[in-house]
Amino acid sequence: MLLFFFSIIFKVAFSGVYANMRMVHVLTSVVGTKCELKVKNGLIYEGVFKTYGPECDIVLDAAHRKSVEPSVGPRREDIVESIIFKSSDVVVVHFKDVDLNYAKKDNFTDSAVSARLNGEHKEKDLEPWDGGEQHISGSMESLDTDLSNGWDPDEMFKYNEETYGVKSTYDSSLSSYTVPLERDNSEEFLKREARASQLAEEIEASATYKARVALENDERSEEEKYTAVVRGERELHSLNRENKYIPPSQRNREAGMSWGAGRQNSPRLVQCSPGPPTPRSGPHDYNTMDQRVVNGGAHPWPSRCPSPSSRPPSRYQSGPTNSLPPRAATPTRPPSRPPSRPSRPLSHPSAHGSTGPLSTMPKRLSSEGPPRMSPKSQRTPRPHRVASCRGGGPPSSDYMSQGASVEVSAPPPTRNSPSGGTWSSVVSGVIFSTSSLAHRPRSPRQNSISGGAPSPSCLSSPQAGTVPVDSMTASTTATSPTAANPAANLETSPIEEAKESRVLETRQNSPNANKENVKPEASASIARSIGKGVYLWRYHRKQIDNLKKFSVEFRLQSSSNPDPVFEPMPQNKPPRDLVEKPKDQSNISEETSTAVSVAPTGSKSGTPSLSPSSAVPEQKRGPDVTSQGVQTTSPLANAAAKDKDEKEEKNDPVADVRKSTLNPNAKEFNPRVFCSPPKPATTPTQTRPQGQPSPSIVVQQPHTVYGQTMFQMYPLTPVSPGVQVPHMTMSQTKPYRPVPNMPQQRPDQHHPPGTSTMMHPATAAGPPIVAPSPAYSTQYFTCSPQQFASQPLVQQMTHYQSQAQHVFSPMIQGSARMITPPGHGQPSLVSSSTTQYGEQMHTMYGKNSLSPAPIPQQYPHPSSTLHPHSQHPQPSATPTGQPQQGPQHGGSHPAPSPVQHSQHQAAAAAAAQAIHLGNPQQQQMYSAMAPTPPSMTPGPNPQSPQANFPSAQQAVYIHPQQVQHGYNPNHMAHVQQAHMQSGMVPPHHGTPSHPPTMMLMATQAPAGPQPTLTQGTLNPIPVSSATHYSYTLTPGKDLSHRNSAHISLFTHSRNLSL
Amino acid sequence: MAAPGPGEYFSVGSHVSCLTCLGQRLQGEVVAFDYPSKMLTLKCPSSSAKPNLSDVILVNLAYVSDVDVINDRTETPPPLASLNISKLASRARTEKEDKLSQAYAISAGVSVEGQQLFQTIHKTIKDCKWQEKNIIVMDDVVISPPYQVENCKGKEGSALSHVRKIVEKHFKDVESQKSMPRTQAQQTQKDSSLSS
Repeated sequence: MLLFFFSIIFKVAFSGVYANMRMVHVLTSVVGTKCELKVKNGLIYEGVFKTYGPECDIVLDAAHRKSVEPSVGPRREDIVESIIFKSSDVVVVHFKDVDLNYAKKDNFTDSAVSARLNGEHKEKDLEPWDGGEQHISGSMESLDTDLSNGWDPDEMFKYNEETYGVKSTYDSSLSSYTVPLERDNSEEFLKREARASQLAEEIEASATYKARVALENDERSEEEKYTAVVRGERELHSLNRENKYIPPSQRNREAGMSWGAGRQNSPRLVQCSPGPPTPRSGPHDYNTMDQRVVNGGAHPWPSRCPSPSSRPPSRYQSGPTNSLPPRAATPTRPPSRPPSRPSRPLSHPSAHGSTGPLSTMPKRLSSEGPPRMSPKSQRTPRPHRVASCRGGGPPSSDYMSQGASVEVSAPPPTRNSPSGGTWSSVVSGVIFSTSSLAHRPRSPRQNSISGGAPSPSCLSSPQAGTVPVDSMTASTTATSPTAANPAANLETSPIEEAKESRVLETRQNSPNANKENVKPEASASIARSIGKGVYLWRYHRKQIDNLKKFSVEFRLQSSSNPDPVFEPMPQNKPPRDLVEKPKDQSNISEETSTAVSVAPTGSKSGTPSLSPSSAVPEQKRGPDVTSQGVQTTSPLANAAAKDKDEKEEKNDPVADVRKSTLNPNAKEFNPRVFCSPPKPATTPTQTRPQGQPSPSIVVQQPHTVYGQTMFQMYPLTPVSPGVQVPHMTMSQTKPYRPVPNMPQQRPDQHHPPGTSTMMHPATAAGPPIVAPSPAYSTQYFTCSPQQFASQPLVQQMTHYQSQAQHVFSPMIQGSARMITPPGHGQPSLVSSSTTQYGEQMHTMYGKNSLSPAPIPQQYPHPSSTLHPHSQHPQPSATPTGQPQQGPQHGGSHPAPSPVQHSQHQAAAAAAAQAIHLGNPQQQQMYSAMAPTPPSMTPGPNPQSPQANFPSAQQAVYIHPQQVQHGYNPNHMAHVQQAHMQSGMVPPHHGTPSHPPTMMLMATQAPAGPQPTLTQGTLNPIPVSSATHYSYTLTPGKDLSHRNSAHISLFTHSRNLSL
Repeated sequence: MAAPGPGEYFSVGSHVSCLTCLGQRLQGEVVAFDYPSKMLTLKCPSSSAKPNLSDVILVNLAYVSDVDVINDRTETPPPLASLNISKLASRARTEKEDKLSQAYAISAGVSVEGQQLFQTIHKTIKDCKWQEKNIIVMDDVVISPPYQVENCKGKEGSALSHVRKIVEKHFKDVESQKSMPRTQAQQTQKDSSLSS
């Protein structure tokens, strides 16, 4: 029976002893021990028990016959290697002093341990605990009944002071983190305030925002939420909250799920966008004052969450606006860059953007740095902006519109080309626009404060337009990162059927992303709606209608919306109108995207709610779309634009491929990837546009870029408001923190794309980062992470980069040194941001320098690469913004844009500085950097540039996203200026956040523009490092402090990334 | 194949006593019993009274008489723990080498004192071996006959001083044991070898 049983068990017919488990076990457990074996004839053998046979034959090793008389031991010759005793001969085998537990694997189980205990082991007697006398009276009960959530801060401060003598330096005004909002009764200010409040409402009204806020502010612990048995009021509380929040989120989700719903949402968004007019002022407010945002938007937030959190949202909002401008600027840059690359490069820098812009940029940058820190500095930027805006006012508007829609570069380029026959002009315009845009966000304040003039022209059209655009772009970028990109691509593609198809594909590829995007889009749309809404609403409800049409047509395709937008944009060419339209369209598209397919009309109302989460994607999409639109427009512009287009197309394919690949991999990844691809596409488009419209467009593009950045910021903020942002803001009184959270949240919560992007960054970026040069990776990563985190952002970033590249490229083309110097200069000015940009730029430049010819291509490619470009644009925008930075960063940038702006601005500033200073070292650095880039530049140039830019942008974004503070810090760090100037504490946070961001970036970078990323990452890192160093050297002049800070930040980030 | 389960004759855990054909009385707890081979495994308290160790006796019931079950098992036998075969194999190999090494020393004419010292050192320091009549400890210290403290040579250091301490203590113990029966000393030696 046993044998049978065992045979069944083991499926092997163990014979004899082997079938007896217990015998086998005990005999096996004594293997290796000495034993005495007695055979039936009485002889005793001693040996080491080796093994046994199935018939229980015993094998002894080193056995010897034991003599009867005790002996010292066996002699060598007495020992037999081994002896096999047949069981029939064995009488007894005596194993002495055997540890039966010797071979037990579980030497650490209770039984195993206790078995080894020497001596008596008695378990301790358990004693009942009665809780003690003094506890009976209530302390336990008080714990149950005490609903207070931990210590009161004041209590903590008091306790620490009394117990440890630590005096808290906490300032409820958070003066070290933000600048008080300077209020005045100017119309502009009121407008901004109104818009800010409107934006705040929209954002706060968004389901995503609510959901995120709920998450952020959910006082329930993990246990309470998931494991605890609920009881009492708390549970009701939480339930109520959840009920409230959940519905919105569900709505959003639903909207996102169903295009129709999205459409409906989009209308909402559009409606919201009407608000934007006020938002314009709002943007300014945002830019100028986060506080306002806090106040205006914050109020809702505050109520929901503490002021801190509310502030973040507001900041985000502001940030978005600010960011939008930067993005816009970046977009413009990309466009300008493309143009500049060929011929413009030098001319642009020198003529318009480079010299003037640069000069302004530096100021702006410097101002930007301050802007964040101090409105005044922003103010100065504003004037510049204004000037730039004025100079490229119309273009800027176009840019704004295009840029907004295109986000990154496409629109700007086209605009530039149209407006500015010379790329330089375009570039300058772009720069200005970007700067203006960047400033605008911030500038609003500045405008209101110091530069009424600048603000008027710029603000009215440029600012408003730019701001909206920025916001749009920002949102788009933000959204775009994952969803946005796809959407953008799709959108852009819609413009171009092929593109549309691509977009559709992308969409299809990333259905999830789309859904996710929808949320992002919603957020983006919100942001857009807010920013755009103001302009768009006022200016073009018709556009909205068009958008609606488009949306209807493109319903399924979130991109479709963008297309409509784009189309309107080109058609509307009127800068403002176009801008507005684009914005509207973008908004609509975003809305639609948010709603899924909802038309712009729907987006208005819907967007707000959706916008938070969806807005970002939408923004991203929007930017992409815009970029595509730009591209479409670009064809009109110039051959360069064609080249760019080609590049863009290439990028698009790449993007598509990426998308496809990404989609397969994961939604999250897809989103980012998509976003990144879209971005590249957008950037390409942008680049094209730049080439074509570069002059005016470029200017606008910068604005657009800024706007994108702003949008990104907004998206981020919107997103955060809806979900992450709110939390971020909520959780972190500091905008920065919120922003960082936003990004992260976005990716995760808002949009699978975003999350995926986030994930991608980590995953994808991770490898690339590693491969790429650490320094580049770090900076870029930092940037890229953000970008990745928010694909839209990334795209925008790319756009910015592209723009920046364009700008720089011109510079570069003109003089690589110039370019590099600019970067340096920027670094010095912007320090961190500039450095980043510079780095990026440097990398780009380096590439350019390495392969001048490639540069233009690269730029185009960057732009074309979509992500990179989009990102670049954003970065560029930020750079431009940097001049504006202060304002933008201060306001909108807080989120991602700041960084970009800062970078862009920095780049611009750097360019300017470079021009001025002509830092050889920096150039060298860049050139050195370039080597790494070279690889990039040659084949990948497009990608690499893009990647670099994207990475930088991404990093920026990442920072913002991950930690708004971090972003800010990062931005600050990158831009330093703004942050540093503003004395943003966030920067510090930023640095901390940067690491994460860096990480994200790294991962993201890979995800987004994997090809580019890798290259870009590599390049970026070197560049960044080089730039940093160079900056450190150069910074001393302008922004030694900033630079140093930036450097430190960078180093941190690098270190982190490393 | 009506092989009865072990429990049919001897329940695992029951105590059994028996008398071998060689006149040895065995008693212990049944650990395993294999009916086909009539092999019975008993676990007895350690003959050296070591608490954590036990003696295991494998008895061929074909050469046993007077099998008597003192008391039957009262509890289900404990589950079998998995065994670390590699550990067992290494133990077998080590034991074999030790025995061969010891045999080598013995065959080399090493004095009993030398062998005792070797085993004493071996209990503390596994890395010791015979080289002719010299004991090599950790490849560093050489103890040559007559194996006194002053015979410990090697590179001055902690190793040498440590070995000297061991040697010194060993002979102290030996001195103290001389008052005891010779057999006991041998027993000690034997135990040490076993334990090692």
